[in-house]
Amino acid sequence: MMSDESLLALVLALPFAGSLVVGFLPSNRHNLEAWLAGAIALAGLAIALALYPAVADGKAIRVAVEWLPTLGLDFTLRMDGFAWLFTVLVTGIGLLVVLYARYYMSPDDPVARFFAFLLGFMGAMLGIVLSGNLIQLVFFWELTSLSSFLLIGYWHHTAKARDGARMALTVTASGGLCLFVGVVIVGHIVGSYDLDRVLESGAAIRSHALYVPALVLILLGALTKSAQFPFHFWLPQAMAAPTPVSAYLHSATMVKAGVFLMVRLWPALGYTEAWFWIVGTAGLCTFVLGAYLAMFQQDLKGLLAYSTISHLGLITLLIGLDSPTGIVAAIFHMMNHATFKASLFMAAGIIDHETGTRDIRRLSGLLRLMPVTAGLAILAAASMAGVPLLNGFLSKEMFFAEAVAHHSSSAFDRVLPYLAALAAMFSVTYSLRFIHGAFFGPPPADLPRQPPPLPSWMAAPVALLVSACVLVGMFPAVTAGPFLDSAARGVLGAHIPTYSLAVWHGFNVPLLMSVVAMAGGALLYLALQRYLSSGIEGSPLLRRLDSQRIFDRIMIALTLRAGRIGLETAGTRRLQPQLRLILGVACAAALWPLLQLGMAAGPLAPSALDPALTLVWVVGAACAIAAAYQAKYHRFAALILTGGAGLVVCVTFAWLSAPDLALTQLLVEIVTTVLLLLGLRWLPKREEMVEADRHRTPRVLLRRAADLAIATVVGIGVAAIAYAVMTRPAPDSRASFFVERAYTEGGGTNVVNVILVDFRGFDTLGEIAVLGVVALTVYALLRRFRPAPDSIVSPEQQVRQNARAAAAGPRQPADALADSLLVPALVMRLLFPVIGMVAVYLFLRGHDLPGGGFVAGLTMSVAFILQYMAGGTRWVEARLIILPVRWIGVGLLLAALTGLGAWAFGYPFLTSHASHPTLPVVGKVPLASAILFDLGVFVLVVGATVLILIALAHQSIRTHRPTKPEPAPDHA
Amino acid sequence: MSAWSNHLVLVPILLPLLAGSAMLLYDERRRALKAAINLAATFALMLTTVALLATAAEGIPPQVYLLGDWPAPFGIVVVLDRLSAMMLALTSVLGMAAVLFSLARWHRAGVHFHPLFQFLLMGVNGAFLTGDLFNLFVFFEVMLAASYGLVLHGSGIARVKAGLQYIAVNLIAASLFLVGVSLIYGVTGTLNMADLAVRTAEIAAEDRGLLHAGAAILGIAFLIKAGMWPLGFWLPTTYVAAVPPVAAAIAIMTKVGVYVLLRLSLLVSAGDGVEGSSLFATTLLLYGGMATIAFGMAGILAAQDTARIACFSILVSSGTLLAAIGTGRTDVTAAALFYLVSSTVAVSTFFMLIDLVERGREFGADMLALTREAFGGPDAVEGEEDEEVGIPVPGIMAMLGISFMACAVLLAGLPPLSGFIAKFALLSGLIGRADAGTAAGITATTWTFVALLILSGLATVIAMARAGIRSLWGPEERAVPRVRVIEMAPIAGLLLLCVALTVQAGPVLAYMQATARAIHAPDQYVGSVMKAPRTRPDPAEGSR
Repeated sequence: MMSDESLLALVLALPFAGSLVVGFLPSNRHNLEAWLAGAIALAGLAIALALYPAVADGKAIRVAVEWLPTLGLDFTLRMDGFAWLFTVLVTGIGLLVVLYARYYMSPDDPVARFFAFLLGFMGAMLGIVLSGNLIQLVFFWELTSLSSFLLIGYWHHTAKARDGARMALTVTASGGLCLFVGVVIVGHIVGSYDLDRVLESGAAIRSHALYVPALVLILLGALTKSAQFPFHFWLPQAMAAPTPVSAYLHSATMVKAGVFLMVRLWPALGYTEAWFWIVGTAGLCTFVLGAYLAMFQQDLKGLLAYSTISHLGLITLLIGLDSPTGIVAAIFHMMNHATFKASLFMAAGIIDHETGTRDIRRLSGLLRLMPVTAGLAILAAASMAGVPLLNGFLSKEMFFAEAVAHHSSSAFDRVLPYLAALAAMFSVTYSLRFIHGAFFGPPPADLPRQPPPLPSWMAAPVALLVSACVLVGMFPAVTAGPFLDSAARGVLGAHIPTYSLAVWHGFNVPLLMSVVAMAGGALLYLALQRYLSSGIEGSPLLRRLDSQRIFDRIMIALTLRAGRIGLETAGTRRLQPQLRLILGVACAAALWPLLQLGMAAGPLAPSALDPALTLVWVVGAACAIAAAYQAKYHRFAALILTGGAGLVVCVTFAWLSAPDLALTQLLVEIVTTVLLLLGLRWLPKREEMVEADRHRTPRVLLRRAADLAIATVVGIGVAAIAYAVMTRPAPDSRASFFVERAYTEGGGTNVVNVILVDFRGFDTLGEIAVLGVVALTVYALLRRFRPAPDSIVSPEQQVRQNARAAAAGPRQPADALADSLLVPALVMRLLFPVIGMVAVYLFLRGHDLPGGGFVAGLTMSVAFILQYMAGGTRWVEARLIILPVRWIGVGLLLAALTGLGAWAFGYPFLTSHASHPTLPVVGKVPLASAILFDLGVFVLVVGATVLILIALAHQSIRTHRPTKPEPAPDHA
Repeated sequence: MSAWSNHLVLVPILLPLLAGSAMLLYDERRRALKAAINLAATFALMLTTVALLATAAEGIPPQVYLLGDWPAPFGIVVVLDRLSAMMLALTSVLGMAAVLFSLARWHRAGVHFHPLFQFLLMGVNGAFLTGDLFNLFVFFEVMLAASYGLVLHGSGIARVKAGLQYIAVNLIAASLFLVGVSLIYGVTGTLNMADLAVRTAEIAAEDRGLLHAGAAILGIAFLIKAGMWPLGFWLPTTYVAAVPPVAAAIAIMTKVGVYVLLRLSLLVSAGDGVEGSSLFATTLLLYGGMATIAFGMAGILAAQDTARIACFSILVSSGTLLAAIGTGRTDVTAAALFYLVSSTVAVSTFFMLIDLVERGREFGADMLALTREAFGGPDAVEGEEDEEVGIPVPGIMAMLGISFMACAVLLAGLPPLSGFIAKFALLSGLIGRADAGTAAGITATTWTFVALLILSGLATVIAMARAGIRSLWGPEERAVPRVRVIEMAPIAGLLLLCVALTVQAGPVLAYMQATARAIHAPDQYVGSVMKAPRTRPDPAEGSR
């Protein structure tokens, strides 16, 4: 025998496990799936019934498992009388719905999915009911919204199902999120999310400054879920779901979650003005409005949907009245409504199933065709109308008694009895309409199909529910009394009010109200005959309000439109405004602290101006500004001018005794300028002037002025900052560390090179990886790149050359090319070994003197560039096998493996070893392991540069033979 | 340092480097071999990072590795603490999923996919591990260079256009990075982050302006990477253009900026409380982050295709993280770390999933559906059956549907997956169980942040429901996509990871909380770095 605690856990776990299993069953095994789902519901029901003794008389069962202990979220299951009642409702009606669905769903329907969702919902709903922790309750709350979405959208090939599902999800999920925040605020107030703790802290919560926000948010969750005005509109649209779903989720259980929560939290949140006004008003409006709208529905399910809204309003109103007797009445009506409304939905489903329509205008006289269904439906509808000897009557009497009782001396209190009677009258009318419209009158003439014999088991669930209605209605104290008592004790604790469950309370005001409602409702039904038989869909006053359309409009306006406006006003997809923003923000970010904290030049006095250097700088600045000025329409000029500025930087480095930097900068300038020039050839020709720029409108001028201002501010700003830093003494010279140890530990006298390959060799390793990756990217981008059409034609010079060659005699264009560059080409070819030697020289001396792998690699690549320029792509590649991608790989591997070598000696990565062995003939040579690393750098730099070169050079092969599809041989 | 296990810290950088380089030795046509190397290397990386995560979880002080055996602050250090271990593991898991997914088709869309992918991992891992500002720049560049190539992978006008915009913006960001680092180095004389934390406290008053300007410029570079409004407009354009596995893999890159901001702002501000001016203006992060959430939300709502929802979700995620960091509170930081993991995994998964879901749909179907919705065209598409009999859903569509829903739930922060836990942790950190909470304790800014958190979740629900209904429940005739196991497996794997995060939320969050505490009180980090011993005796000390 399992303990109560594990049984409780089992109740929750079973449906989820069943959902998973059913989901994986083949979709045509109807019976198997239905049996499995039914068995799970039955097991849940049986366990719940077995647990009753443990929860009677205000006791509770609790199970807690640690989940998120640091945030106060334990997985807590808690069952008291109230939770028990709902567990029985959820599992019991679940069982009947499964049985019903087995016959309702078409044999062609792949029901595995259906039952899986249904069981998933059952689990989620049980989760809400059994949660002992508010966050966990929210967790399951949203799960019911999701499963409801899936179930409404089950027939998603119909537009109604899709729209209904989405609307329900939007409304209930929004409410759920509000509830989430509200619950977190309650946790903030109480210091715990535990339900028991929260329920004990009612006084603290109500007196807290955050009480009203928390209350409003939690009520938003509850009211949306229970389809209360003004959020009621989703429920009728949810009727697109298969009828078993409507019976189960949208009348008996899920929509009850809202009122369940309000009752559950009433001891903690209730007893206040705010509660009374919000909950009471929402309930009253919904009660009356729902009943009014229900009278005019032509669809049986629509009628039932609005009547559900109205009854939920009634329950909400009872809760809002803020009295213990009201709460008891609310609980009792939840039970009663679940039984009679579920059976009515099932009956409507049977009618639809048998006749093919649910439209009251087409139905009539079904009493003769389906007497059993008719009899059951009439009883259930009578209970809905509040006819004595049925359960609906009892809770309605309790409601009337509550309505006439005194609550506060407000107008609300005074009009309440009249409005209650009015709405009750409406409910009699729509109940009559349901009964009379469908079952009485002449035999139906306009049915889509003649009712086949009813599957015998299909009416069984209806019969069971209706007999419950009758039994409770006749012997309330025996049948429902104990359970209502334990449920009320669960909510209210020991202080349960006195109430009497009896059919006859003598002649009193509630009875009078009932009589008035009955008579008035019947009269109203007669009075409305003309309007209703005209066949108009919807009520006289509110017919034109199509909630689906209004909802769609609002959603479109609030989502798509608002989003688009937001994107357009606060964002841009264009690059130029983005760059403007980035620079502007960066400027502001840098200026702000400088203005606040001040920025002064450092104490070091600048050295005297040297006229020669000044002149060089003036030239450099002029080049830089001119380059910017020409960048848009004269790329070639701009590029050359940038080169000029770069050379000035080289000169400056050399002047300021930084030969390493100067050498590197020089080679970088040369190589990049040449590569850019090669690339420039393939850019599309620029329109002489962009159309907008030709007209110097104020806007254009303004934009340019702004750009100029940004550029000026950024430029001057960077210069000022640089000046400020350079006039400061180097702070606590870290640099001395490097200078001191470059030779003793790094084995080199060129500190810059030792830093590059040793002290910060890891940076260098990363940087060469960058270079290699960039080369790979350029290659990958240009490999399939087709030059722009207007740059495919040969340059003018080449055209003229070829023309001259053609005029001179029968010669190949290639020969003409070779001839015209004969002397320079020869020189360049001869230079190849010379430059190679220079590279080797620069490489070898690197550790001690200016030079090193990077510079040597660039030098070597210059040699290759010259060969391509002299001989053309094909000439070079016919003679040299160049595999630059492999060089990149080899270079990286060499550098990385050198670093790894240190591991073998027990040292960290990149630890270098330096020695100065004496070789015969050569003498003492400096030899550091770093030189191998530097060799890797060298190989990689050559590989990367040549790869970019090849990528660019191959463009020419492609364009000169446009007929061949993919000419470039893959050298990668 | 002699034990081999000590070198394990460096494996997340070296392994991708070696694997990437080795692949370059083979011809591009040997794609199968490269794929195998890529897969094996990424798998090994995943094992390594999980091992490192396990080490870090034991609560030992940060593990410091002296590159070239040079002591801090002179040489470069690599530091493994809880935060970096967590980020490494996340990167490698996402990397593994992306590699698997790419093998079905996308890796053939261009050359050098596999080496570039490994270099990307190298860069990201390096950025998470390094304890040196300039070295961080280097790894940023490695990561960016590789991502340029990967974003352009597959070529085509849209990709080249978006890719070049991406490159332009990031080159500016890189320049800002350099300017910022130079300024900081110029004033403090150090690049080592731990040393920087010590030294910023000792900076003379007249140098503070420059130091703060440097930090601000540096911060802008990271904010560009994180996609903060108004610096992140490049982000959606780029991610929507990238091929799905690349988008999935580079989803982690937006978190690198966030990571660095988190690390640096807390590390450096520790010694900065002197005059109450924080080096990285954290309150600005709060406001900027909230603006980013709002902008991302607008983007999600306005999105016309599903991929754009994913892109703007990244902005929402970034904004949430930035704002959370901006609050400067330990418990919020812990929640933000949980959120970081959950939201990154979700977005990554979603990028891959979209590829499968959209496969087999007609081009322009989204626009049609949207127009119908906006202008109220006929509710039912012509020829649509209205019969109330369910239509069978093919198994693969059911899988896609479940995955889609899981992604939606994760991104929106709804139960039952880890997104909910993350949102709860954030809310709980912001307004949760205070001991004696009063309304005065919660500022209007906090309420705004809470509202944005919730509203962004709602926007996601609405947009995802719209998109999901359109592409999975839509009336259009659609072919059932052909999906291969290696495409579905990574999606399922990542979603299962989120399930595990939910079930094991307690221990995971405990890890995050320990992480948050450690980075909020960085003394241990600074101490570990500055006192890390060299392997060989220091000759200078010996001679003294």
